[in-house]
Amino acid sequence: MKAKAHHLKDAQKKTWRFSDLIGDPAVGARWEKVRRYFFLRESTYDMTNRCNIRCDGCYYFEGSKQFAHENKAPEDWRDLMKGEKARGITYVVLAGAEPSLVPDLCQVCFEEMPLGAIASNGLRPIPRSIDYKIHISVWGDDETSLSIRKAKDMLVRQIDNYQDDPRAVFVYTFTRENIDQIHGVMEVLARHGCKVTLNMFSSPVGYTGPLRHTPQSLAHARQTMLALISEYPENLLFSPYSAVAHTHIRGLHDLYSCSYPRMNSSTAIGLGRSFRQYRADLTWDRTAACCVPDTDCTDCRHYAAGSAVVTARLFRHASDPDTFRSWLDYVDTYLAVWVMGYEKGENLCDHMVAPPGHGLVDD
Amino acid sequence: MANPYEISKLTIRIAEIMIDELKLEDVTPETFDPEIDLIDEVGIDSMDLATVALVLRDEYGIVIDEDDYPKLNNIRRIAEYIREKMDDGKEEG
Ligand code: SF4
Repeated sequence: MKAKAHHLKDAQKKTWRFSDLIGDPAVGARWEKVRRYFFLRESTYDMTNRCNIRCDGCYYFEGSKQFAHENKAPEDWRDLMKGEKARGITYVVLAGAEPSLVPDLCQVCFEEMPLGAIASNGLRPIPRSIDYKIHISVWGDDETSLSIRKAKDMLVRQIDNYQDDPRAVFVYTFTRENIDQIHGVMEVLARHGCKVTLNMFSSPVGYTGPLRHTPQSLAHARQTMLALISEYPENLLFSPYSAVAHTHIRGLHDLYSCSYPRMNSSTAIGLGRSFRQYRADLTWDRTAACCVPDTDCTDCRHYAAGSAVVTARLFRHASDPDTFRSWLDYVDTYLAVWVMGYEKGENLCDHMVAPPGHGLVDD
Repeated sequence: MANPYEISKLTIRIAEIMIDELKLEDVTPETFDPEIDLIDEVGIDSMDLATVALVLRDEYGIVIDEDDYPKLNNIRRIAEYIREKMDDGKEEG
């Protein structure tokens, strides 16, 4: 019944011309700003199979990729990057298990591919010569980090290593249990001038532990995100639509249809054609290829997944001014988080808008 | 049955839109080969196609289904697709 009501409402909506949507000067300027980055085509790479900490619910240590033999030869990595460039890849994400343990390999990747990001726990500084965005994972306050990640004083050590570093973005992952801890963590990060973005814990396949979200924790996370956007406009890279997309009761695949090869069999165009997720032995597997392999697709609300999946749905969002502005805010956020030198603008839509074809909470 | 004259006009107009929107260089609407593979040879991606699809929606009032993007890998196919959709629209109307 509810679903029907939404479709009816959609059908009754005025049809907006795209030229009218971008005719608004602020919207037109933002469209031109973000579309310059449509050339970005990503693939991801596990750099090692080691980590200096061990977190509950870690994606890397689920599934078989942790058993891949590490390739430590810089020349093999250089050849891989050259090959990637030749097949049209323009952006690399260096991840699992902990790339800071192999700075020489990260350096080789940077020399061949100047655009990219590294996902790190932030406990070891990555040399400044590697000018990628560095995403530093934060999973709660230090007490929680100690219990989940078995590491002491994480935030202090992460800030010591990365405050004043233009590459750094702190990524706070909301689990079911740490939502309210963001207030204290955000206050400390803002005091040190750090940039922060928000992520949702997305369960690995088979995970039923206490970090998995419930409808209540999703709603609580959403309200918390909205409050933080107003409270920390200088430090927080986020938008109301980012909050909607990542805390919806439906996961990203349900809302937008995931375009990564693992959920998309088409090799004709887009991510299904270009995206690969290489393991530490430089092999890749199409059936597992996405930016967060071994995540349970029905529970996937991961920020890295959303960056590609929501962004790819341009056509669906060009339906009315608020929905299109919300999509632009989302893309502007994602570019500020992932691309060196890209500055986020003010959000164009200051309220929550439902994903196309859905309600704000559920349909 | 598609009218060849209309199709040839359509292909020129689609080429024009592609050149304008995607800032393609070294090609004019008249020299843009309607058979050239947009994905493999021109390097167009799904975001580019979505942008072009929005301009075509404005111009012809037709919605290009995202699932159809993979089929639309040259200008002739896009033109035929538009013609079919326009014909369907006429029949329904
Ligand atoms: S885990 Fe997320 S990003 Fe990966 S295939 Fe599933 S829905 Fe897509």
